[in-house]
Amino acid sequence: MNEIVVFDKVLWGLNVCLQARLLVLLLDRKNHRIFPFFFGYLLIALLQNVVTMVSYRIWGFSSSNAVRIAWGTQGLVILGRALAVVEICRRVLERYRGIWALAWRMLAGSAVLVLLYSLAVASFEWHLLVLNADRGLELTITVVLVTFFLFARYYEVTIEPALRSLAIGFFLYSCFAVLNDTILESWRPRYATHWNLAGMLAYLASLLLWNWAVRERQPAIAVGPVLLSQGVYQNLAPEINLRLRLLNEHLHQILGPEAKRP
Amino acid sequence: MSLLFYLFSGLIALLLILFVWSVRSTRRRVPPSTGAGVPDDDGRRHMTYLSQIRQALAETDYEFLSKRASKEIVRRVRRERRSVALDYLVALRRDFQSLLRMARVIAAMSPQVAAVHELERLRLTAKFRWQYEVIRWKLLAGLVPMPQLDGLSNLVSGLSVRMEKAMKELGERAAVAADLASSVNRGSLDVT
Repeated sequence: MNEIVVFDKVLWGLNVCLQARLLVLLLDRKNHRIFPFFFGYLLIALLQNVVTMVSYRIWGFSSSNAVRIAWGTQGLVILGRALAVVEICRRVLERYRGIWALAWRMLAGSAVLVLLYSLAVASFEWHLLVLNADRGLELTITVVLVTFFLFARYYEVTIEPALRSLAIGFFLYSCFAVLNDTILESWRPRYATHWNLAGMLAYLASLLLWNWAVRERQPAIAVGPVLLSQGVYQNLAPEINLRLRLLNEHLHQILGPEAKRP
Repeated sequence: MSLLFYLFSGLIALLLILFVWSVRSTRRRVPPSTGAGVPDDDGRRHMTYLSQIRQALAETDYEFLSKRASKEIVRRVRRERRSVALDYLVALRRDFQSLLRMARVIAAMSPQVAAVHELERLRLTAKFRWQYEVIRWKLLAGLVPMPQLDGLSNLVSGLSVRMEKAMKELGERAAVAADLASSVNRGSLDVT
């Protein structure tokens, strides 16, 4: 316990207070019904703080028991975060049935690919295994969120301000966590003391953003557009693609036979 | 510093750029359900000036001029012809974007979409943008002959009746959705 500097303690306390405030805010505005997974994630994160604090008091900050508890509960927290991110994506896109069916497959596919990639490039030293898994999951969350926003931009889907702020909070925290974990892996002895502090600062920024995002009650039912009839897409999509192809061919003719393809 | 550090830092920097770009873009856009996504038929307006543009770019005109007029005039005409060609290229891009936007709106408003069509459209967009930039730079550098406009009328002569019908349906349904949304929001306010 002595190893934790005063600033760390203050920051930890501040984070716990903001987490508790956010939970109360969600309950008070009845937003916990709108974002049940986000609420669940915050609850798990708050409990993790309590459990690790108790373990530090019992076994000490650097004890193996405390380290095991801290990293073990981290798995649950990341799982909760991943579910909260899925909840955001779903709430925005599920109103658009057709593109949501396409989007969730793309998001799931990119998540699996990134997770495999980050685990493949990680060093498989046993003491870094949890750290690498943590970084892999955080990187997956960032890629999923970027894909989601690109998807929304491409199809011109409007994202409610509260949902956008929640997503930005998740994205920034996960980005920072990836960098933080990578720096820790590279400069393990020197950076270890600052690693926790940097992580808490990033989390503080996300908590502030989330507190601001859910300050108002969110509409219970997100009313989506009334969709077109089934045959419209089937008839028009190939026709539009044909026209786009013809325009491409026209450009190709202008370019001449020496035109190179991308 | 390890290679891994550079690898992940680069990846995060790329993701940050993409994220900022996509978030900024979504903030400015209007929802497809408002009906603003329905493009106008630019092609028809372009076709009004097709004969004048074709005349301006005719090779025979240029040859005739280079024999009779001074160098200064020939230079000016060449500059103007290039400007016309660039404008034409911009008009082609606008047509492409109009079609693209319409396709995206229809996809977003459809209960079922085919990944094949969506991926094909992505591929065509990438190809068009690449070719467009290559031609534009070649035109600016004077490395490409003036475009032939003969095929244009087949491409941008307006949208089919079926497409217009779909757009009408889209507008009507968007109006119904807007009414429904406002009535639900009023309802939720009353509940509180």
